[in-house]
Amino acid sequence: MSVQRILIAVAALLYLGFLAVLGGAYYVGLKQAAAWPPKEAGPGIPDKDRPKVERNVQQLERRMAGLLPKGVYIVIDTAENRLYLKNGQDVIRTAVVSCGSGVVLEEPGGKKRSWVFDTPRGEFVVKSKITNPYWVKPDWAFIEEGEDIPRDVEDRIESGTLGDYALGFGEGFFIHGTLYTRLLGRNVTHGCVRVGDEDLKAVFKAVPIGAKIYIY
Amino acid sequence: MIKKALLTVLTAAVLAAAAAPATAEKASLAKRQSSLNSEYALAKDPGFYFVLDVLGRKLELRVRGMVLRSWPLQSMRFWGQPDFSGNVELVRKTTLKAPQRIVIKPGSEEEAEPAPAAQPAQAKAAPTDPAEYDLEALELKDMPKRFSLDFDNGLHVTVRSKAAGSTGMIGSLKDAWRWYVALPLRNLFDGKGDKALSELELIFDGDKDAQAIYWHFFDGIKGVIL
Repeated sequence: MSVQRILIAVAALLYLGFLAVLGGAYYVGLKQAAAWPPKEAGPGIPDKDRPKVERNVQQLERRMAGLLPKGVYIVIDTAENRLYLKNGQDVIRTAVVSCGSGVVLEEPGGKKRSWVFDTPRGEFVVKSKITNPYWVKPDWAFIEEGEDIPRDVEDRIESGTLGDYALGFGEGFFIHGTLYTRLLGRNVTHGCVRVGDEDLKAVFKAVPIGAKIYIY
Repeated sequence: MIKKALLTVLTAAVLAAAAAPATAEKASLAKRQSSLNSEYALAKDPGFYFVLDVLGRKLELRVRGMVLRSWPLQSMRFWGQPDFSGNVELVRKTTLKAPQRIVIKPGSEEEAEPAPAAQPAQAKAAPTDPAEYDLEALELKDMPKRFSLDFDNGLHVTVRSKAAGSTGMIGSLKDAWRWYVALPLRNLFDGKGDKALSELELIFDGDKDAQAIYWHFFDGIKGVIL
């Protein structure tokens, strides 16, 4: 009987001890939280430095404004498969597009090359504008289809696949048209950005060579 | 004499009342200068960066000062050292079930497997909505709705959608134990030095918000926490 009582007392003490420690932990946590955000006084600016800080803020704001893209440019959201044609901060046109599928293609046999079909992300510029483009099929296009890679360049050329216009932004990547319009809005491409006919025409007409492209 | 004393007290009160907004204004000016400095350091480079405005309750993806995406926070909670603001870099992105890329190996056994014979009676009609096509692709819908981000300043951020909370009784109990017991105790005992706990949980309204953040936040992305 007395052993049982001792055990109950020990358990109760342990429980109370645990609660006391937890209470201490909450006290510390609340104290830390109370210190944030820093009090309104903040990092004090002496009155004599205030004009200098104000000038500095204005200068930084001007510099930040100077970094914003100017003129006509393209913004592409690879997650939502959307292309935004913008002029300054105004969106002129929104288009549903198809971006990279993220699939990895591995070459069978000896060479063991592999390709990742991602649309590259970052800041690019329009390097070329092509009307009635034809596609010079790269090696992966044949490997994917299980076909032999041709030796002659002529055997790689395919017309009509890329639509009426193409805007090149480097490393073989293009913003171009598509035959698979029903898949616009999905990630299906090998890295290029496929756009519907009407939107492609509008983008091609509006964007000059050298215009910025932001892909994220 | 009493009149003079009253006048002095009143004047002091008026001056103090006038000084309070001036102090707040100075603090906001100092904060603005600091946040602009932090952001300018990132915006002058062509890379994408994020701005987590904790008090403004929003997370933004930006480039060159331009906001590309903005995700409003539904709610947030925090344990640990609160001095995590400033410029940070994402060190690691972790999730329980990371999305896997589909690997295509032409000519492999899976590819060579013959397709089952067509069964016209049971054949499905082609979907009319592009979203219904079952594609071999890694898309936004495949991204996790709950994941963690570790930053170089020791800040650990859990991002999740409102709907991606713990499910079931065991899940809820586990989550409650972690947040209300384990973390406070860890904060108490490891609360000092480099190992100091800094745990932030950001909850977003929609699944797509959390998934888009996973999509756009790559390892090494830099950002500013305000």
